[in-house]
This record gives sequence, C-alpha cells and structure tokens, in this order.
Amino acid sequence: MTPPELRALVADALALWGVAGRVAVDGDGVALTAPDGTPLRVLPAGRADHPVRWWLERPGQRRPCTSVLGLLRGLRNAVGAGEAEALRLRVALPEA
Amino acid sequence: MISVAVITGFLGSGKTTLLRRVLRDPRYADSAVIVNEFGEIPLDHELVAASKEILLSTSTGCLCCAVRSDLTATLLDLLHRREAGEVPPYARVLVETSGLADPAPILHALMTDKPVAATHRLDSVVTLVDALHGAATLARHPEAERQAMLADRILLTKPDLVLDTAPLVAQLRRLNATAPIETAMHGVVSPERLFAPGQHAADPAALAAWLTAAGHAARHSPGLACTAIEREAPLPALALTLWMQALAEHAGARLLRLKGLVRIAEAPERPAAIHAVQHVLHPPEWLEGWPSADRRSRIVLIGQGIPRHFPARLLAAIEAEVAEETARRAS
Repeated sequence: MTPPELRALVADALALWGVAGRVAVDGDGVALTAPDGTPLRVLPAGRADHPVRWWLERPGQRRPCTSVLGLLRGLRNAVGAGEAEALRLRVALPEA
Repeated sequence: MISVAVITGFLGSGKTTLLRRVLRDPRYADSAVIVNEFGEIPLDHELVAASKEILLSTSTGCLCCAVRSDLTATLLDLLHRREAGEVPPYARVLVETSGLADPAPILHALMTDKPVAATHRLDSVVTLVDALHGAATLARHPEAERQAMLADRILLTKPDLVLDTAPLVAQLRRLNATAPIETAMHGVVSPERLFAPGQHAADPAALAAWLTAAGHAARHSPGLACTAIEREAPLPALALTLWMQALAEHAGARLLRLKGLVRIAEAPERPAAIHAVQHVLHPPEWLEGWPSADRRSRIVLIGQGIPRHFPARLLAAIEAEVAEETARRAS
C-alpha cells in the first residue's frame, strides 16, 4: 500500500468511526492527531520485521500490527472510537 | 386482467429468497418477475434466475422514485411482447421492489396509470420483515414503516434467530391492524395464500392522500448510499473472509446490506453468493455455476454513513497482504 493509499484508508476509517481528524502522508506512512491531541503515526514495517506489517506509534509507545485488520483495531482504540466486536469468520470452500 | 403481486420489505428481509422459493413451485412457473434494484450493479436478478422464467431487471434507481417511467413502462412492454408471442403467456407478474422502496407510489401507479390499470389487477402486497432486525429497522427507517403499513400480508422471516417475536408482532400491529402476520423460514410459505387474488382493496384516493401526507413520493433515510465493487480477477477465499469480517466489525449496524456474487480463486467455476444484513453475516452459498456469461465478482453494499470508497480500499489492502503472505510461503 502506498502512503497516499494508506492515507485514504485511514481517513475513511476515521470518518466511519465518526472521529474528526486530518490524516497526512508522513514519509513512508501517515500522521494524524487523536481527538485528545495525541500525535499518532502509522508506518509500514520492514521485511525483516515479519510477521509485523505495520507499526502504530504514539509518544513513548510503538505497537506492532500483523495485518491491516490489526492496524484498524489498534487505531480505533488509539483515537478513542471504542472497541468493535471482533468477529471470526471462515469461508468453507465447496466440496470438490 | 393479469394479476400483479408486489413483494416488498427492507434490505435483507429475504425477498429474493422468497422469490426463488416461489419460482421453484411448478404452479408458479408461469410467472413473470420484475426485480427492482437499488444500486449501480443489478445483482438480484442473477440470484433469482435459476430457470426459464421471464425475468426483467429494472435498475434506474429505487422503483418508487422512477415508478412511472420504469415499472409501468416495463409492465406494458412485457404485455406487448406477450401479445406478440415474444414471451410465454405468463399468468401473473411478481414485482420485487428494492429494499428501500416506499410501496405507496408503486401501488398508486399500478392503480392509476390507465393503460396499466386496464390490463393488470393488483392482487396483493406482501411485506417481509426480518424478525431479528425488524424492530430496529422500523424505528430507524421510514421506508420500512411504510412497507409494513401498506401490506396486505406480512411475513416474518428468520424467526429462528430470535426467541420471541411477540414484541415485533405488536409493533407491526400498531402500524397495520389488518394484515395477517405469519412466519416463514428460508422462504418456505404457501404461495397460494401469499398471492391469493383480491387481497388488495386499497383505493387510489387513499393512496394519493398518503402520498401527499408523506410529502414526497420517495423520501429515503439520510446518509444512505450504495457502493458497488466489480472485479475481474478471482479473490482468495481468505481475503474475502477477512474483508467481510472487517466490514462487519467496523461498519456494524451501518452496513444495512451486503450482497454479492464472488469469483473465488480456489473455486472459480462456482460463484459464492454472499449476504450480510447489518452485523449478521451469512455463510457463503456456493452456486452450481455462474448464472450468466458475466463471471466478474460483483458486490453491492448499502450502508448509512459508510465512506464510499472504504470497502474497496479495505479489500485492496487485505488482498495485497494475503498475496504477499502467499508469495512469502511459496518462496
């Protein structure tokens, strides 16, 4: 995901959660400010960090996320939008 | 006179399931079906189409917003084709409205458009109400209330998902004191009772008054928007799973309806029909084959306050991660 694509996804997510905020491209990632004023950054992890794919940073804390789903959950919590009900699904393939 | 039945009900109430079940009954094989869809990609008609019924899809938007130019024209065009021997001599027309349709202008047009009224007889308005989401939907969406108020017969669907339907039945009774209310599991119901002639007795004047009182022929809840995703490339099952999971998790009750035919990478010859109503996701149904030559994945979402591009952006992000992981494991 390119930084502008990440910016668009994060901005959409904030709008969906009803959180006001501006998201800007910041280097390889994006920067935003939580409603309580906390600065946040989302950065892609390097190959060597696998299985971590994303870092969610706030002052003094760096949270690893292994997927975009994990990133959205972490971000939702960080901006104070409350926790969503985590769901687990499985698509059973048709029998051959 | 050709009998017309209108099947209405809010998004996800089970209209298409009911229609599919009715059309499997040989006694109803001589039915023409008009499916109205709200969205950029007509999909319901693909889900209904399973045999050789006469099936027409209207997708100019919500039927109640374009009723004169769409439904009445479609009915008359169909009649002309029947008279010309271009379509089989159907005995009745079943009209499935979009889940967001206010039935009032539809019924008004059926009864007052002179060429239509001279050749067609409105026999019944069947309104489906989802037993699980019905109470909240009635409270939140004026369209749903109007659908219940104008019903000749109300069908409670998915009764197995709730312990007690009595509060919802009481709520419906306050809206419509006369329509029989019955339950149907997976669309199983007697079509003869549902579409019995002569159930509809509303007069055009009453409907006209209703329209005036409503202020507008079709006023939809604010913020409702339809998003469509079309794609050529098959989608890994895992990406679809994670996407549906994330959508339900983050959009919750704002996701009013999701419907789609998806080409899955692991089984590209058998489309997966996917459905979700608010946060309730139904297991994908694997169709035996593609209903038409169009083998693209097509997904339609109707939501309230969901950013237009969010579903597609989320899908792209998830798909990229799944592809990357698959490639990493293969190397």
